[in-house]
Amino acid sequence: MIRMYNVNKAYRKDSAALQDINLNIPKGDFIYVTGSSGAGKSTLLKLLYGAEKPSRGQILIDGRNVTRMTSAKLPLLRRRLGVVFQDFKLLTSRTVFENVAFPLEVQGKKRYEVGKKVYQVLKYVGLEHKLHRRPLELSGGEQQRVAIARALVVDPLVLLADEPTGNLDHDVTMEIMELFKGANARGSTVLLATHDREMISRFPRRMITLEEGRLVEDRRP
Amino acid sequence: MLERFTYLLRRSLTNMRQSPFLCFASVGTVAFSLAILALFAIVVINVQQLTSHWSEEVQVIAYLDKIPEERVLQGWIDRIENLPEVDGVTYVSRQEAFNRFGKRLEQEADLLRGVEPDILPASLEVRLKESHRSRATVEQVVSHLRRDLGLSDLRYGQEWLERFESFLLLLQVAGAVLGGFLLFATLFIVANTIKLTLYARREELEIMALVGGTPWFIKTPFLLEGALQGALGGILALGGSYGLFQFVLQKGLGAVLTVPGIADVVFLSGTQQLLLVGTGVFLGSFGSLVSLRKLVRI
Repeated sequence: MIRMYNVNKAYRKDSAALQDINLNIPKGDFIYVTGSSGAGKSTLLKLLYGAEKPSRGQILIDGRNVTRMTSAKLPLLRRRLGVVFQDFKLLTSRTVFENVAFPLEVQGKKRYEVGKKVYQVLKYVGLEHKLHRRPLELSGGEQQRVAIARALVVDPLVLLADEPTGNLDHDVTMEIMELFKGANARGSTVLLATHDREMISRFPRRMITLEEGRLVEDRRP
Repeated sequence: MLERFTYLLRRSLTNMRQSPFLCFASVGTVAFSLAILALFAIVVINVQQLTSHWSEEVQVIAYLDKIPEERVLQGWIDRIENLPEVDGVTYVSRQEAFNRFGKRLEQEADLLRGVEPDILPASLEVRLKESHRSRATVEQVVSHLRRDLGLSDLRYGQEWLERFESFLLLLQVAGAVLGGFLLFATLFIVANTIKLTLYARREELEIMALVGGTPWFIKTPFLLEGALQGALGGILALGGSYGLFQFVLQKGLGAVLTVPGIADVVFLSGTQQLLLVGTGVFLGSFGSLVSLRKLVRI
């Protein structure tokens, strides 16, 4: 599903954020990306959803070369990806329903299709009774569930999550992890960046470790 | 296609409803800037109307030493009237000239008692078309009258004409420079206000790009929003400047600019009003477009 060949990324000339990353992630995999702060976890994810371009190397997602993608094609790839952030990145002026419906509206789906799908996903994350609330009226865990619902509503090929439980307490973290496991079981390839060792040991999966932008470990449970 | 447009328009309206303060800031800036532009335009238009009235004074008078036979005179009038620059010719007989002079003397008209009308010469007054009231054309007509009709005693207020032309040139240059400057300043202020309002919503732009919005899908609602806000600002500017015109400007300008014989101080014409609202739409959408180019990078 995801292949990276000799990927390098440097924001400045004198320091590299990522160096010689070679990675092969098969379809349906669940993989942790770990490493200390500044190791390059977020950069790796940004390269995958096209927010950054690699300085060198090639990235293929579902057979399509992301590095050569034009700005007209990139949105089409993003419609097949789901991205979840530590700070949720929800539209605070819109309701829960509107936030989750947004990716489908972008794709030009019909209103009745949108309504049905959004309700299904909100039910899956357990927020179907709060669809008219605004994000700031919800707890951190609920906001993250809305963000996950927004990512899942498009049935993503790949689900990318950047420290999704970083701001959440232990119990909520466990609930959120169950949602990711569920998405993986439905067929999405999941890449989850975290430095929460306890979570990894509780839900053991393949894990790659980055250190100063280099891939130093690729371990399977 | 229509469904898509309706969706984008609905989103622009929702955006405006959800961020009333930002919307108010943009509309207010457009309205205020355009109101200043409109007031400036009103002053310029009225000064132009005044100069156009003054330009009616630009005419050539040919004094006739000897009055020719009526047939010859009519021949001259026809020939002059056939000139492309000429609007019309009036023959002023000695008696008419005498009467006019008497009128101009008002209370002192008694001075003319005992004086015969013969002391004043008859003349041909040649009025020029409005587009030809310039020194160059006047001189052209004068040389034609001299050469072809043999008229030698010709007056056309050379000095006044020169001063009038330099004043007109100054007015045009000042109007263009000030108007251009004002328009540019308006564009700059509006573009920057919109940029600030978009900057406050950069997260929304980022999320749209993240979930696969194409650049045009992201930009169109903001462009529509800019255009709507511009139109609203234009209409408010029109209303505001009309109010100001009614209560302040009309009297003020009237006192300075109106002279007997010309119409009152005027407001913007229908076309100019439409142009003002159109300028608002342009400012709003152009301001959004410029800002979006910097903020939306996919």
